[in-house]
Amino acid sequence: MNIKKILLLAGAAVAVYVYVKQPERKKRFLREILRQVPYLIPRYFA
Amino acid sequence: MTDYDVIVIGAGCGGLSVGALLAKQGRKVLVLEQSDRIGGCCSTFQKEGYTFDLGASLIEDAEVIDWCFQRLGTTLDREVDLVSCDPVYDVIMKDGTRLKYPLSAEASARNIGALAPEDVKGWHAYADYMQGFLDAALKGFFLAPANTQGDLVNLFAKTPKLLKYGPMFASSYQGVMEKYFQDTRIRESIAFQSFYGGLPPDSCPGYIAMIPWSEHAGIYYSKGGMIGIPRALERLGQNFGLTVRLKTRVSRVIVRNRRALGVALADGTEITSDLVVSDINAKLLYLKMIGEEHLPWLARVGIKSYEYSMATPMLYLGVDYTPPLEGHHTLISRPMDELNDYWWNVYKKDRYAEEHFGIVSWTSHSDPGLAPQEGHHVLVLTLEPGPYRLHGTTWDDFKAALTEQILDYMSKRYIPGLAEHVRVAELSTPVDFERRLLSPEGAIYALRQDLTSGVTFRPAAKSKSIAGLYLVGASTHPGGGVPTTIASGMIAADLIQRYE
Repeated sequence: MNIKKILLLAGAAVAVYVYVKQPERKKRFLREILRQVPYLIPRYFA
Repeated sequence: MTDYDVIVIGAGCGGLSVGALLAKQGRKVLVLEQSDRIGGCCSTFQKEGYTFDLGASLIEDAEVIDWCFQRLGTTLDREVDLVSCDPVYDVIMKDGTRLKYPLSAEASARNIGALAPEDVKGWHAYADYMQGFLDAALKGFFLAPANTQGDLVNLFAKTPKLLKYGPMFASSYQGVMEKYFQDTRIRESIAFQSFYGGLPPDSCPGYIAMIPWSEHAGIYYSKGGMIGIPRALERLGQNFGLTVRLKTRVSRVIVRNRRALGVALADGTEITSDLVVSDINAKLLYLKMIGEEHLPWLARVGIKSYEYSMATPMLYLGVDYTPPLEGHHTLISRPMDELNDYWWNVYKKDRYAEEHFGIVSWTSHSDPGLAPQEGHHVLVLTLEPGPYRLHGTTWDDFKAALTEQILDYMSKRYIPGLAEHVRVAELSTPVDFERRLLSPEGAIYALRQDLTSGVTFRPAAKSKSIAGLYLVGASTHPGGGVPTTIASGMIAADLIQRYE
């Protein structure tokens, strides 16, 4: 495993840890934004 | 040769402001309105001698509206008889605690201090921060087009101070408020305004937290009813040759080769124009009045992806006594987490509240002329968000029982004697709003207003799909509300002057 992959996995692990530690309302705020993210590019053209 | 230079669909505040401004530019403009009155949500109606406001019950950020009137060669004060509302709110909390927010920030600080001394410092810090944001954002954000990333770059280049407020955009309304206020009652007293952004405190974008502060620059009521504002815009437009036609329903926008060429009315008549401006819900415009076949696929996906904003039932009451309230606006509040819980576990599950909250607007307190005789009064209750579809029943079937239930609840908890003194009661449900205003699902701000549906991600003021088509109103930047829709009219008028 090269260093890039290790850093990527470590970054993902930190992100998951930080997310899990957040209070429910912050998780919800983030989830609501993430749910809409796939539409950002189409919405830019709307 | 076309019949008009510009046809505007819808005589809401956005449609009338752009119509008046374009008429002032010397264009031949026709505004078509499907209902029998102008104003859209900012309108007024009479019933049995009482005068009620249909939707909007106050204006904030009056400065923005004044800029539009200045462009039309006058001022807001000269054209509309405005009454300043002081206190901003008398808040009644769930546990019965009352907290009055006078217009004066210092007086508000004293009232906060009496309840939670530790939050006075937070109030001042909050006020300083939000005033800085408003100073930087008002002109830049409200009047700048947000069609492209280039527009955004220009916005930040012109007002670099806005960058300082970036963290607020990455936070929720609740996150911002909890940073400044520790006492749960103070937090509760400023929780409801997140619904002015159309979302509960935990999901509403953090910059909406400026509202409880911006209200201290003044909130106003238009004497004679809120329709006074659109009427003034119509009158000024007519001075420049604007034509407004009521009870004229547009069924589709005539489009050929991705260019708007005019409109077809419900009776089959076609009216041609060089430009079309839409002041209706953008989903309704693009998917029903234009048709998916005229849209590039990416725009089609984008338009379909928008969610409608929240709807809210309103109860209009004419009463034959003086209600035991303390000012024009009484805010019946709930703790932040209760508002979140209501949104996710009641509203989002197509159910409606049994314990009510919202704003009571005692409009005849500011303008006694709204009631038919002395001793009578007018109250408008803007209630908690209500789902478009109700689980297990329909709004039409539920309406009578709900009216009784609300009156009973309000009489017992907040406005003693109310139920016995009601002479006129009319409940407007999300379905009624849809019928009356042709606003899909009764959405009060057209489309959901969060970071992913705002600014450059909201339908563009200058259509990216159809040439000669422009958008105003709540569907486009800067979103729903009286000052914001009027600002959208100014933005569209500027864009048309630049490009057409």
